[in-house]
Amino acid sequence: MRAARLPLLALAVAAGTAAPRVAGAAAGSIRGRVEVTREPPAPQARPSIGELSMAPPRDLPNRRRSVVYLEAAPQGAFEEHEGRAIMDQRHETFVPYVLAVTVGTTVDFTNSDRTYHNVFSLSKPRRFDLGRYATGQSKSVRFDRPGVVRVFCEIHSHMSAFILVFAHRFFATTDADGRYRIDNVPPGAYTIVAWNDGEARETRTVRMGEDGGVMEQDFVVR
Amino acid sequence: MRAAALLATALSAIAAAAGAQPSVEPRRFALGVELSAAVGPEDRGFFNYTSYEDSAQRLARLSLTAEWHLAERVALLGEVRDENLGTPRVYALYARVRPWRDRAFDVQAGLIPPVFGAFSRRRYGGDNPLIGYPLTSRGAGWRVRYPFGWGNPDPEPGLPLVNALRWDTGVQAHIGSGRFEASAALTQGTLSSPRVHDDNGGKQLSARVAWKPVVGLILGASGARGEYLSRDVIGALPPERRGHDAQQAWGVDLEYSRDRWILRSEAIWSRWQTPMLERSLGALGFTAEGRCKVLPGLYAAARLDHLGFTHIDGPAGRVSWDAPVWRTEGGLGYVPVRHVLVKVAYQHNWRDGGRVRERALLTSQLVVWF
Repeated sequence: MRAARLPLLALAVAAGTAAPRVAGAAAGSIRGRVEVTREPPAPQARPSIGELSMAPPRDLPNRRRSVVYLEAAPQGAFEEHEGRAIMDQRHETFVPYVLAVTVGTTVDFTNSDRTYHNVFSLSKPRRFDLGRYATGQSKSVRFDRPGVVRVFCEIHSHMSAFILVFAHRFFATTDADGRYRIDNVPPGAYTIVAWNDGEARETRTVRMGEDGGVMEQDFVVR
Repeated sequence: MRAAALLATALSAIAAAAGAQPSVEPRRFALGVELSAAVGPEDRGFFNYTSYEDSAQRLARLSLTAEWHLAERVALLGEVRDENLGTPRVYALYARVRPWRDRAFDVQAGLIPPVFGAFSRRRYGGDNPLIGYPLTSRGAGWRVRYPFGWGNPDPEPGLPLVNALRWDTGVQAHIGSGRFEASAALTQGTLSSPRVHDDNGGKQLSARVAWKPVVGLILGASGARGEYLSRDVIGALPPERRGHDAQQAWGVDLEYSRDRWILRSEAIWSRWQTPMLERSLGALGFTAEGRCKVLPGLYAAARLDHLGFTHIDGPAGRVSWDAPVWRTEGGLGYVPVRHVLVKVAYQHNWRDGGRVRERALLTSQLVVWF
């Protein structure tokens, strides 16, 4: 897999002719479906050579879940956000596998397993190491810089997840059917990106009309 | 290698037969690679020598591991190692079978991980916060040459308490996955001298029980007994001296981890019956180590080691039959990116005897795995 990249998440207002306008125009929505036709490989733990028993059963992460976002956000979209989100650790899997939040969000890493977990990240936007903690406990991390944060468990090598931190609110995570919806998009030209499993899989340019409305944009990730 | 190939064929047959049961999970194959390279000064006191005559302080090791799930409850596992561009050796090769789906009972057969103690089952590069091996678990005894013990009339290095650089061949069973776990194994060699081929007709029986009273705390107790002298040596003994050729060992181990800390300790008491001596030769090894993460990707670690020996009566009076050793080791580990670990460690050794009685070593090590 290529390195996880989300280079333009941090972009401030798009400049020049493409700069979208906000005031005095109707906002619209962009919706659609991201169909993931590729079969994501199951995460593999390192061979358990030194173990004396079979590994316990564990869940598989939902790697079909995608994030659709606007690469350049409209003016006025950068309001401060103080939200909270949860990334659970359950059956040796991060749930959800992909979490999209805005800058300023605090993520609670809960542990629902009967074993220790040790969440950490060495990603540039947010390096952290929460240490080992047991079931029922939770530790939190606030994300103050946009970018892609790759999350791992130090104890269980097969556990990994993504946290996409946006400087704006024009993004959506697909549901179980792959559907998404981004609301309140002001008129203007945008680059819309479909991101799945560590990569921006497809990028295209769209234009939201002055009268708003609903724009359909479907993606196929192969 | 020929024996390993035969063993692999036999294990494949066993696993294939057991794998005839319905599978509810896709078959999968996992491969792991670990490369470690340590650069340090020459270890003139042989404080860190492995069983293949290399120092752990100047060791480049490539390790390839594989785990192949033939069915839901049947797996083949193996590891091949190469040290300092020498001949690759099969370190592990065994089948793992869980006979009942709903019971935490597993059987492993082949060149298997030891059930005794805790350190020997850990990965050397990634799981060892420092560079040296604990004194209890090195690959060979001291450089002192002994005339027998390996079925060889030529003097060879002595035996370690536990040989952590080779695994034994046999069958083991493990039960439990919660607070209590127990394991037992029947193998060809002994803790000191694991073997693929049996050289004396004796078998080692080893066992370990572990208790996890709370998450993060593991208390273990181990025992082992097996004949370690080769058939050739036993045959050369007077009849009245035969039958006194066992290594017996007892061990306790502890691991406690919480937040940014991991503390581990292990003590091993071993005694070897020696046919030409009235009393067994005993040794007590103790190791305690701690690791603390100080920043994301950066940790500090320290270890204290001691290896002591029982006394024998000789011409010079009552003396320790080998020279007691103390060691302290401290260091830092840095993970710049996932799967890459850089260690720097300072090790100080003291020995109460021998040509080199004290030796300090500053060593760095690069570990890469995926």
